[in-house]
Amino acid sequence: MLKIENLHARIDDTEILKGLSLEMGAGEVHAIMGPNGSGKSTLASILAGREEYEVTEGSITFDGVDLLELDATERAVAGIFLAFQYPVEIPGVSNINFLRSALNSIREQREEAPLSGKDFLAKVKECAQLVELDGKLRDRSVNEGFSGGEKKRNEIFQMAMLEPKLAVLDETDSGLDIDALRIVSHGVNSMRNGGRSFLVITHYQRLLDHIVPDHVHVLAGGRIVHSGGKELALELEEKGYDWIVDTPAAQQA
Amino acid sequence: MNAVATSTKEAALAHRVLETVREQGTLPVSTAAAEATLESLPYPTSRQERWKYTRVAHLLGLEGETATDTTAPEPVLPSLDAHRLTFVGGRFAAGEIVDEGPEGCFIGPITAALERYPERVEALMAKGFGKQEWYAALQAAAPQDGGCILVPSGGRLDRPVLFHHHMPNGALAAQPLHLIDVAERGHAEAILWYDAAENATGLMNGALNVCVGDHAQLSLEIVQDEKGASSHIGHLHFTQGHHSDLTVRTATACAHWLRNDLHIVQDGEHAASTFHGCYLPNGQQFVDHHTRIDHAYPDGRSDELYKGLAADRATAVFNGKIMVHKDAQRIEAYQSNANLLLGEQASMFSKPELEIYADDVRCSHGCTTGQFDAEALFYLRSRGMTETAAHNLLVQAFLAEVLDGFRPEIRDYVHDVYALRLGWN
Repeated sequence: MLKIENLHARIDDTEILKGLSLEMGAGEVHAIMGPNGSGKSTLASILAGREEYEVTEGSITFDGVDLLELDATERAVAGIFLAFQYPVEIPGVSNINFLRSALNSIREQREEAPLSGKDFLAKVKECAQLVELDGKLRDRSVNEGFSGGEKKRNEIFQMAMLEPKLAVLDETDSGLDIDALRIVSHGVNSMRNGGRSFLVITHYQRLLDHIVPDHVHVLAGGRIVHSGGKELALELEEKGYDWIVDTPAAQQA
Repeated sequence: MNAVATSTKEAALAHRVLETVREQGTLPVSTAAAEATLESLPYPTSRQERWKYTRVAHLLGLEGETATDTTAPEPVLPSLDAHRLTFVGGRFAAGEIVDEGPEGCFIGPITAALERYPERVEALMAKGFGKQEWYAALQAAAPQDGGCILVPSGGRLDRPVLFHHHMPNGALAAQPLHLIDVAERGHAEAILWYDAAENATGLMNGALNVCVGDHAQLSLEIVQDEKGASSHIGHLHFTQGHHSDLTVRTATACAHWLRNDLHIVQDGEHAASTFHGCYLPNGQQFVDHHTRIDHAYPDGRSDELYKGLAADRATAVFNGKIMVHKDAQRIEAYQSNANLLLGEQASMFSKPELEIYADDVRCSHGCTTGQFDAEALFYLRSRGMTETAAHNLLVQAFLAEVLDGFRPEIRDYVHDVYALRLGWN
């Protein structure tokens, strides 16, 4: 479903990704871990179409389509969703009106009929319950005055509303207390199905206790230097990254 | 030599405007005194600080025709239950006079008010800043019959009053004067609506004099929705008594060339003034809001918020002066002006001016001019909104802080005009 090959990317004059390759199948959950500054958030940004990054080499194919040819809007229409590490506050834009516009914009671009008001509200109710999002938060301005945990729950709420094919969670666990972590993970888990894939970027193994990945990758120096199953996360938690990052394969990165 | 030539042009303009306006009938004023004042004042040029960014040279060529098409315009806000007076090209065109006698409210054209309550109306007419500015003096030298609201002590209007002024097609000059006097403990809501026909190319040089008495309340909403290529200069003067409460909201929905001078004088303790405004020039439009508040007595409060956006090659100007007089202690004065620039050739000139001569005051001002928040744009787009839709949503959110203060009928109307002009969905 997603195939990243030899991806090189930079921002301004700094090269951040240096030959990253990754393949994900439909319905799979992949976790990306790695030291600070290894390029994890850059990868998330590039997948979502953030324009500050320049891809200098390599390719990303999503469902057979060259993703790099699509802008941020088109990627959302194609079914990519990024849960932001730092969700943006937008004063004056109500959460619900924004979601209605976004959802109907996607449907329009997919040449689908807009959701009726009734269906939309039913869906809002269902998805909000999933992450225990308060009715007041739904009606407030987007993320304005939300706590860190509320912002992350709002991201997962939006994800549930937009039903992406590929969800990229960029450090969704950062700033969450244990309860919020449980709620967010529950939201993600209940959305797992055979057609939907998740790329979970995290620093900590604890999120992966809740969202159990099929594959774990270590990103260091701008490339994937090691991959394994879910047990790799535990090993990393215990031993750190040095034993992988210091290997000759990683040195080449 | 240059000065002589300019002076000839402006004198000629004054002559044309005064002639054509007077032909149609004006309110009784001492024309000799007014013309002497006019001659003594300099014509505005960009060399004067107050007109630095506001070019008025194009007005010198105004022909000053007489209005030929005086058909009453379609009513605005048709669903609003209001006392309505309609004016066309500076003349009273339609509306019912409400006169409850000396102890009650009066709503009607100034001419009718003058016959019945000359002292009160003449006192109101003498307000304004016709002695300070050339265009205000021009207006004061030949004021046309506008609307008048008189609310007695403790009186209350049963419904809002809507003065609708329409500029017809053609290059005429209109100089209507509107008056509002809310006596002590009185209460009133009014709407001042200016619009213009598609082929209007004239000059709307109008004035509004307002007195809000002690403990009185006035809420005024001003809508400027002028199609065509007419120019608009507004002279808006407010005097407030002690413990009075004034709110003025100004929405410049559409204007080819517009200058508003809004001046509030707090002439008593514990007065509260709220003045908000929004504007959104695009194409080659020009919008200029000059405001001034005088805190002349202690314990006053003012809350000023102007927000706008300049697109394409348009220019927006904001100048907000806060004057806190000596001994006007414990004043709280807040001013904010925020602008968005959309388009590389759009311009915005924003200037706060604070003059504070008392030592125990709380004043703040903030002025920002920027572009769209790139991070917010990306966020919206990453959720599937198109770039245009995301822009539009952010503009609407930006203006909402001001627009949401209007009554819903006006908020929705102005929103729709903006939507049409900027191609929002």
